[in-house]
Amino acid sequence: MEFKLEAHRIVSISLGKIYNSRVQRGGIKLHKNLLVSLVLRSARQVYLSDPCPGLYLEDGEEEMETGNVANLISIFGSSFSGLLRKSPGGGREEEEGEESGPEAAEPGQICCDKPVLRDINPWSTAIVAF
Amino acid sequence: MRWHQAVPQLSHPWVSLQSKNAPHSQGEYDVYSTFQSHEPEFDYLKSLEIEEKINKIKWLPQQNAAHSLLSTNDKTIKLWKVTERDKRPEGYNLKDEEGKLKDLSTVTSLQVPVLKPMDLMVEVSPRRIFANGHTYHINSISVNSDCETYMSADDLRINLWHLAVTDRSFNIVDIKPANMEDLTEVITASEFHPHHCNLFVYSSSKGSLRLCDMRAAALCDKHSKLFEEPEDPSSRSFFSEIISSVSDVKFSHSGRYMLTRDYLTVKVWDLNMEARPIETYQVHDYLRSKLCSLYENDCIFDKFECAWNGSDSVIMTGAYNNFFRMFDRNSKRDVTLEASRESSKPRAVLKPRRVCVGSKRRRDDISVDSLDFTKKILHTAWHPAENIIAIAATNNLYIFQDKVNSDMH
Repeated sequence: MEFKLEAHRIVSISLGKIYNSRVQRGGIKLHKNLLVSLVLRSARQVYLSDPCPGLYLEDGEEEMETGNVANLISIFGSSFSGLLRKSPGGGREEEEGEESGPEAAEPGQICCDKPVLRDINPWSTAIVAF
Repeated sequence: MRWHQAVPQLSHPWVSLQSKNAPHSQGEYDVYSTFQSHEPEFDYLKSLEIEEKINKIKWLPQQNAAHSLLSTNDKTIKLWKVTERDKRPEGYNLKDEEGKLKDLSTVTSLQVPVLKPMDLMVEVSPRRIFANGHTYHINSISVNSDCETYMSADDLRINLWHLAVTDRSFNIVDIKPANMEDLTEVITASEFHPHHCNLFVYSSSKGSLRLCDMRAAALCDKHSKLFEEPEDPSSRSFFSEIISSVSDVKFSHSGRYMLTRDYLTVKVWDLNMEARPIETYQVHDYLRSKLCSLYENDCIFDKFECAWNGSDSVIMTGAYNNFFRMFDRNSKRDVTLEASRESSKPRAVLKPRRVCVGSKRRRDDISVDSLDFTKKILHTAWHPAENIIAIAATNNLYIFQDKVNSDMH
């Protein structure tokens, strides 16, 4: 159970770092974000493989897994200008895989606050953040 | 007089040298010149600000009275020429002392202008600007032993430049996958071999080193040698990948070995053995249980450099709390020293420091929990011939000298 808690905490921290990297001076650092996404993936695997009851629903997570890790990597791999644009929402090819979460958000704002974040499926959180 | 190159022993005390206003004092250092290398820029196409922060500086081998160096930020490399002027011509015929034209009717004889001494003036001028060569952030530059070319590496590509040509460069390594979703590792550092101008090495975020030979192909994607140590499965954690990422790679002066730095260790590799390093030294293994907090505060992403001494017998690297570490490869002894104002009065002998883990604590030991992680020594340099080291600690530069050497003066 404590592995699950630690893993969940690491997932939240990692998502926070990915989000903050968007507003950092000098643009998104590919190296750092690659490392953060690897930590995110490890933490998520531990979270899912821990047999203890989860903190949130796990339906449909398996099919989301590869798709969303791939989305994160492809976002970092793009020229990043799409991420840094002021207007929310899609339109660029690189962001095709995303869901409609970001349109609801103010640019530059996480649309959920912390207690809600804890209960949401971390992959939905990732999509919401972007 | 022939210099005797003393082999440093870690039992010898290190002495701090501090800059003073007495330029002729033995071992005193003062600021030589200060200049702004890069300015912040804006990439309008990508809506990105390009930081002016300098990532790497490399000196070129000196070929005349001037010194040249390369400095780079994330995107642009610049070649700077540093010259000294300590004489000025006086006695012009047509101009007076202030440079105003003389009335020709007052000139009755001709004289040859003479050079008179003046206060030393250091002039720095940009000679070349190597721009637009990199899409990703430049992490390293390395001057070739041919003194004509140099390479610059970003996360995914390495370019070869000629020092005299700024409008084109050759791409010699490209690890960008066709589909960025397949990206698993990036280039973290690179260096030319000190003697063989066709060989270079680059390190990756996965902890591997690739030695490449430019004679083999124009694009050196296929390495000649791959140096990789299998991961120890018992030490696996969420952060295994981060701590195995190599932050710096340096060839030994002999050209036989390579030194790498990852988050917790420095490793010596023999060019003839690819399977594993021949030596591994723990820099601050007591941080292994603290990786989660270091991840949270971003310290785990700090990129420490490493250095060889002139005879390749001692290696050095920085750590936290303004500590830096030296490892003697022959005696297997190591020492932790501190670069701080309190411990570095001029001529003061540095006292070895110790970080204590657990309950056994001696006087003057620092406990792991009281280490200051904002005081990090990322950059260190060792004089190529003498036992003089330069340590960069936040916004201070410390210069230390082996006491044995300083006694000889």
